[in-house]
Amino acid sequence: MSSAIVAQAQSYLSGIPLDVISQGAEAVVFLTTVHPYLSGSMHPSDIQNSSKYIIKYRPPKTYRHEVLDKQLTKSRTAAEARLLSKLYTLEIPAPKLIALDAPHGMIWMEYLGFELPNGQISSLKNWLWYLEKQQEGNTTASIALADSVKQVLILVGQAIAKLHLQDIVHGDLTSSNILLEQKKEGLQPTLIDFGLSSYSPLAEDKAVDLYVLERALTSTHPVYSKTYNKWLLQGYEETYSKKTNNKRKYTEVSKRLEDVRLRGRKRSMLG
Amino acid sequence: MPYYSLGLEGSANKLGVGVIEHPLEKIAAHNHANVLSNVRDTYVTPPGEGFLPRDTARHHRNWVVRLIKQALQEANIRPDQLNCICFTQGPGMGAPLQSVVIAARTIAQMWDLPLVGVNHCIGHIEMGREITGATNPVVLYVSGGNTQVIAYSRQRYRIFGETLDIAVGNCLDRFARTLRIPNAPSPGYNIEQLAKKGRHLVELPYTVKGMDLSMSGILEYVDSLAHDLFQGKKNKQLIRADGSKVTVEDLCFSLQECIFAMLVEITERAMAHVGSREVLIVGGVGCNERLQEMMGMMAKDRNGSIYATDERFCIDNGIMIAHAGLLAFRTGTRTSLGQSVCTQRFRTDEVFVSWRDD
Ligand SMILES: Nc1ncnc2c1ncn2[C@@H]1O[C@H](COP(=O)(O)OP(=O)(O)OP(=O)(O)O)[C@@H](O)[C@H]1O
Ligand SMILES: [Mg+2]
Repeated sequence: MSSAIVAQAQSYLSGIPLDVISQGAEAVVFLTTVHPYLSGSMHPSDIQNSSKYIIKYRPPKTYRHEVLDKQLTKSRTAAEARLLSKLYTLEIPAPKLIALDAPHGMIWMEYLGFELPNGQISSLKNWLWYLEKQQEGNTTASIALADSVKQVLILVGQAIAKLHLQDIVHGDLTSSNILLEQKKEGLQPTLIDFGLSSYSPLAEDKAVDLYVLERALTSTHPVYSKTYNKWLLQGYEETYSKKTNNKRKYTEVSKRLEDVRLRGRKRSMLG
Repeated sequence: MPYYSLGLEGSANKLGVGVIEHPLEKIAAHNHANVLSNVRDTYVTPPGEGFLPRDTARHHRNWVVRLIKQALQEANIRPDQLNCICFTQGPGMGAPLQSVVIAARTIAQMWDLPLVGVNHCIGHIEMGREITGATNPVVLYVSGGNTQVIAYSRQRYRIFGETLDIAVGNCLDRFARTLRIPNAPSPGYNIEQLAKKGRHLVELPYTVKGMDLSMSGILEYVDSLAHDLFQGKKNKQLIRADGSKVTVEDLCFSLQECIFAMLVEITERAMAHVGSREVLIVGGVGCNERLQEMMGMMAKDRNGSIYATDERFCIDNGIMIAHAGLLAFRTGTRTSLGQSVCTQRFRTDEVFVSWRDD
């Protein structure tokens, strides 16, 4: 990654150690050992990893017009911070918000996840890729489609349904934007990356949210995506079906999803 | 003896014919293909009008024989030296595709050569890789009819992101029609020239959905601004910060800035998602210098590299069909007469990429 971006972040956070762990489309994600406002030996107690924190920094994007850039960075940083605190009050799993530095486009949050056996971050994508790799050449055991995978994908579907029932649309659902945590009950998925999130009561927006994820799974995990998608929608439907008056809403979203898919297939290729 | 093929493209308003030469052994950086000829004729409509399938097909029928002769002559190749005839099988407009496949079938039978049907998008990708030397890039394919972010894995070009409604070229072309600016050499080119003179950024909707995007709302919005501008209607959006009036140039500039930023963003998102540092831009809109510049800046911030081609290869052409078809031919692909039906919808990920094994 460009060292200029790291230098810029460091200039806002002098003396704070920064380890780059990812460079996405919008943000550079750093790991740090310093809490923004608690002094050295004090650590917050309600946080998963109380010695490591995530700093998500949205640097200026030089490629886009300055006015557009400022506006996008501002609204996305604010949207993400707002969402993280909202999800905390709703008890929907997400990283806990620690601090917001809006002028610099920085969010401090809880560090989640663990290291996979191959040393990678435990995103759903990395985990599935790891299992798919192990599956190669192994015809006896079911690794990529094991029960634990089914369990995780059902939970992902349920988490998305919980968002949608609150009229929150994620806006960037992919297997990279889902982190796995190791819990007593097994692997627990957590949604992250809420910069493109918005509020919407429309079935159309929820359907597009699901469609974007479905397509991301199809391209990222082509061999098993059909089954992955099936499990995901199963979890999604389960959560909606818990209350009778939500069942109708589910039918609406699922009808819309059909429409969106059809539009995708029928989209005219004409000039 | 090397391999030779002739390619025919006519999925939209350009008719292209090209002859390519492949040396023996696998195509690689040190063993590259040779473009022997690449000729094209574009069906241009008057300002304010789009091209209709029937008229476009007639244009292609009128020109195809002349262009085939010219391509062979420039390449200095006789029909009996060719290994196969390649044609665009889709996606595209039905009638123009059909008029060109008839020409392909005819010469294949006259000269007793096998046919190879080629997916138009795969043609763009393979020609882009060949010309630029990009080995395994994330591909942004932007043209009149297509907007896709593509990456290769397991012998297929997989679509990671795409438009949820209209294509970017279509969006630009339709805005050019609203502005009634000429369609020659291409509406997008003329918008680009106007945009170079724009200074003021008018706020437009910004509609990225993960690795996908939507553009119909933006077009509708900027179209209505243009109508207000022409009719002299009062609109706060049409006043610049200094109190002066927004111009047509400003609108072109703002439209480009907005949709290109969205394209670069979804491309970068796909690069981060698959872990790639290379980006290749193909398709007609890929000629746009501002888009190339923006993509270059994004790549630089990732310590990556950008690959793009000029209008000979970006704009629809016959050589890319000859090239991709010959790659498939060399790994055993043949399209029988019975299978040579064209299809308007033909997704990039439907093609099994037999010539790559990485
Ligand atoms: N709270 C967290 N705990 C642990 N790792 C995290 C956390 N947040 C982000 N990460 C890691 O950083 C990566 C990128 O974070 P995130 O998805 O929020 O930003 P981004 O990808 O840059 O945004 P975009 O997807 O819009 O490009 C994640 O895929 C994950 O690996
Ligand atoms: Mg992300």
